[in-house]
Amino acid sequence: MTEMVVAEPLWKIRLKLWVRSFKTGWELFKEKKLALFGLGVIIFFAIFGLLYPLYPMIMRNLFWKDDPFGYQTFMPYDPIIGFDPDIVSHPSPPSLRHPLGTDPLGRDILSMIMYSTPREFVLGITAALITVIIGTIIGASAAYYGGVIDTFFMRLADIVMLFPSLALLMVLSAFMELTLFRLALIMGILAGFGSITLVLKAQALTVKVRPFIDAAKSTGASDAYIIFRHIIPNILPLSFLYMMFNVTGAIFTEAVLSFLGLANIRMSWGVIIQMAESSGYLMGASIGTYWWLWLPAGVCITLLCSSFYFLGRGLEEIVNPRLRKR
Amino acid sequence: MLLSVRDLRMYYRTKMGYVKAVDGINFDLDQGESLGIVGESGCGKTSISMTILRLLPDNAEFKTGSVLFDTGNGPVDLVKLPESEMRKYRWRGISMIFQAAMNSLNPVYRVGDQIIEAIQNHFPDMPLDKAREKVAELFTLVGLDPSRMDQYPHQYSGGMKQRAVIAMALACDPKVIIADEPTTALDVIVQDRILKEIRKIQKKLNMAMIYISHDIAVIAEVSDKIAVMYAGKFVELADAVTVFKRPMHPYTYGLMHAFPSTVGEKTELVTIPGEPPNLLNPPKGCRFAPRCPKADSVCLDVDPKYREVEKNHFVACHHPVQPKEVVRFYAD
Amino acid sequence: MLKFLGKRVLQIVILLFIYVTVVYWLIEAMPGSFVDQYLLNPKLTPEIRENLKRQFGFDKPAHIRYLIYMKNFLTLDLGISFSYFPTKVTTIIAERLPRTVFLFVTSTLVSYVLGYSLGKRAAWKRSGILDKTTTFVGIVFWTIFLPLLAIFNIWLFGVILKILPLNQFIDPNLWKTAPLSAQTIFIRLLLTALVFLIVFLIALLISNRLKTIPAKKTMLYTSSITTIVVSIVIWILSGYSIYAWDIIKHMVLPVLTLTLYSFAGSMLVMRDTMLDVIREDYITTAKAKGLPDNVVRDKHAARNALLPLVTNFVISLGFTVGGGIITETMFSWPGIGRAYLEALNTQDTPLLIGLLVFTGIFVLIAHLVADVLYAVLDPRIRY
Ligand SMILES: Nc1ncnc2c1ncn2[C@@H]1O[C@H](COP(=O)(O)OP(=O)(O)OP(=O)(O)O)[C@@H](O)[C@H]1O
Ligand code: SF4
Ligand SMILES: [Mg+2]
Repeated sequence: MTEMVVAEPLWKIRLKLWVRSFKTGWELFKEKKLALFGLGVIIFFAIFGLLYPLYPMIMRNLFWKDDPFGYQTFMPYDPIIGFDPDIVSHPSPPSLRHPLGTDPLGRDILSMIMYSTPREFVLGITAALITVIIGTIIGASAAYYGGVIDTFFMRLADIVMLFPSLALLMVLSAFMELTLFRLALIMGILAGFGSITLVLKAQALTVKVRPFIDAAKSTGASDAYIIFRHIIPNILPLSFLYMMFNVTGAIFTEAVLSFLGLANIRMSWGVIIQMAESSGYLMGASIGTYWWLWLPAGVCITLLCSSFYFLGRGLEEIVNPRLRKR
Repeated sequence: MLLSVRDLRMYYRTKMGYVKAVDGINFDLDQGESLGIVGESGCGKTSISMTILRLLPDNAEFKTGSVLFDTGNGPVDLVKLPESEMRKYRWRGISMIFQAAMNSLNPVYRVGDQIIEAIQNHFPDMPLDKAREKVAELFTLVGLDPSRMDQYPHQYSGGMKQRAVIAMALACDPKVIIADEPTTALDVIVQDRILKEIRKIQKKLNMAMIYISHDIAVIAEVSDKIAVMYAGKFVELADAVTVFKRPMHPYTYGLMHAFPSTVGEKTELVTIPGEPPNLLNPPKGCRFAPRCPKADSVCLDVDPKYREVEKNHFVACHHPVQPKEVVRFYAD
Repeated sequence: MLKFLGKRVLQIVILLFIYVTVVYWLIEAMPGSFVDQYLLNPKLTPEIRENLKRQFGFDKPAHIRYLIYMKNFLTLDLGISFSYFPTKVTTIIAERLPRTVFLFVTSTLVSYVLGYSLGKRAAWKRSGILDKTTTFVGIVFWTIFLPLLAIFNIWLFGVILKILPLNQFIDPNLWKTAPLSAQTIFIRLLLTALVFLIVFLIALLISNRLKTIPAKKTMLYTSSITTIVVSIVIWILSGYSIYAWDIIKHMVLPVLTLTLYSFAGSMLVMRDTMLDVIREDYITTAKAKGLPDNVVRDKHAARNALLPLVTNFVISLGFTVGGGIITETMFSWPGIGRAYLEALNTQDTPLLIGLLVFTGIFVLIAHLVADVLYAVLDPRIRY
């Protein structure tokens, strides 16, 4: 046998491997129509949200040219304090001035939705990132050390999984102001100790038995070094995949809490629907009449949630060969 | 003839093209006769049996050929039967011991019940106690304690599962039994014992058998006729003695000389230098040519015909090995 | 089996105690409570104030209160609600629990039956039309914003089609002159459903013993239909049928909404595990035995895929409870979930703790049921 001479640093090799597996992955991914659809919708929302600052400018040039004073006073396209004085009664149905109508306070719904979009992304991705970081570290350590550490975290995961996080978040909302960031933090931590650790531990166990772990051990590498340099990089693809599902969960939960009026978030898709509910437009027969108060925001939540889910499932089929079609 | 297979072709459709796993297979099988099919891993042995039984995955494409099976009143072509008719011939006409016998038993049902299920599927009028009697008989035949029939697969050892699977294959008194490397997962001693038992039962019940293995020593022990398979095709078929004493195809020759004694150590077929061809894009001409010491320009161009060189001795080669000829394989 | 069950029950009891403790201290740590606000009322004389404090146990330090709470918990006494003042927490829960249990059990049963049968069919014909549509629709329902689904259902069935009432548990006008309380009628309805379930299970057991498939089917269908017809006749004869009908009408939408929301989870899991199971060698063996296609699918493949489905039930319990809270809120369905939101808003600590504790008990019981089911389904566990 000839000795392999490794001239390149480890990270470079790893990067190359990643690029290569990314390429083959993309080949497979392209065939998953639903996952592509999901990715498309996510990109759409990202652009949609980033375009928000343009929206008031465009509307001002179109409809408020003659009344710059009114525009400056009432800021009709401000998602939080806006008001359109030229319309007699709010909520007003969709019109050219307000493509998705206005809410009972006279605010422009489209501007509220656009304004909220980046916030949903930030919330979802922050929470998912925290979850994945915690889950990966715990999963890798539990697999590596086994024993008491393993048992403890696995039982903990059972308990966390079993009890409804929504109920817990509702209680927490009574303690503290659930701002966007805090909410993301709490949701991320809660989910991080949950079922994700089970999955990642199972994956880490398959890595643990590979020869390079023993090789690393025999050269006297520390536990932490092995976990962070050898185990974690190998389970990262799976972690990344679970991130998608956690984004779905986080956005959904935030929307529900906002909808129930329990979160302290000034504006989000959930808040828009809560506004409709609390001012009585979701009651009784008038539901259909004031559809623009709840339908667009609700559809946005659903679309973004399911897109991340579609994406996650598509990636799962690539990362997890069991599901792969032959 | 009980079973005659003619020009059987079945390809797997993949993203890169067709995998020509079964590419023009011909053989005959008589009552009570045992045919051994030997070939390297991946050459298409399992695919042949799955094509005969029509248990193919979605991406398999049946191309041509016929499988004439003698039902007692005239032969039927299994290939042409509608699915519902075909079902009647599975297990009762042709049954099978699968390669992964360990996993052939459904973990959630009792072993006996799984055999009874097969019996009652083909003999719906047989009462339950009769069927149970039959299972007990089969268990005794294969050397299992009949009281174990009400246990679940996880309570069986590997060797016991293997025996149970054999009992199951015998359940409907099939005319042909296909055994696809039924012993690979077992340790050598158990393997040998089960092998002998299979052969004994096959002779006793006068069944026809197709025994598939990559191990020529095993094949030698159980077969009357031997077919040597290479890259989706049969390259040589003759009775066992002839194949051992007077192989005519260079590949068979190589196999025989890699195993000086058939009872010796069982090793993989790695002694012929070179890699088996990729079934995706098999080379033009003879598929063995890249590894064959006798290959010439004709071999590289023309696919040799599978022909009867002498009575009941079929070879597919342009330059068959002559008696006394010595062929040398060079490992580079 | 018994040993296994015993071990599980013990684990669950321990879990429950940990849980109650955590819940107690969590709520205890909540800043400001109903009592504080109540006691700040300047109209109260110091005497009444002291009296009230003693009554609620607030004169003692927190850890003593905890011990008292645990002692009372053992005798299933969860204290007195603040907002419904003299009513005991257990009374409130006893009134509301059946409604929630009903909502949960029905939607779970329906969604699992639906998910099981759709999932297995989708996987059997992978990439077929059924597979594609169910996967797409399934994921959309699985990730839909639940309040949106509820609003949409109310709008469609209540406003557009006008076939179902909008929300609430009963129609107040109808019940003004009713001879019995809605709760009584509701409990009787539940009993009817229970009887039906028992008959159905017995029929299922008997039909398993039967040999031919037509005989099995006849057995199942006749017994189910007979029970339904008999119970309908009994209800009509009793004269309470309009009230029962009113309750049923109000139940449809919440059950439908929660079912739609949760069936996709079980369906997707069923589909994915079926795809795995189909590749197992025993499926090829079953086919080679000459068994008909649907026997291979149902008896061999789907039966094995059931096990992960049960596991999934346990994993998704938390989500289903969350979904229940939202559904009850959306439909003003007076169950545990609604009470939970109310208790939160009024800072009714004893009720809040009581509801959380009962949710915990409920989840753990569901967990236990799933464990038993798993053990029954998987012969590898039995010994
Ligand atoms: N479903 C499939 N799709 C594509 N290719 C397949 C499929 N099944 C088998 N093959 C390929 O067909 C060839 C023949 O496979 P087969 O299982 O028949 O070989 P075998 O001779 O039984 O091998 P072994 O001794 O390992 O069992 C192999 O190269 C295999 O990779
Ligand atoms: S045909 Fe030619 S290449 Fe092929 S086996 Fe015969 S001699 Fe060798
Ligand atoms: Mg094989």
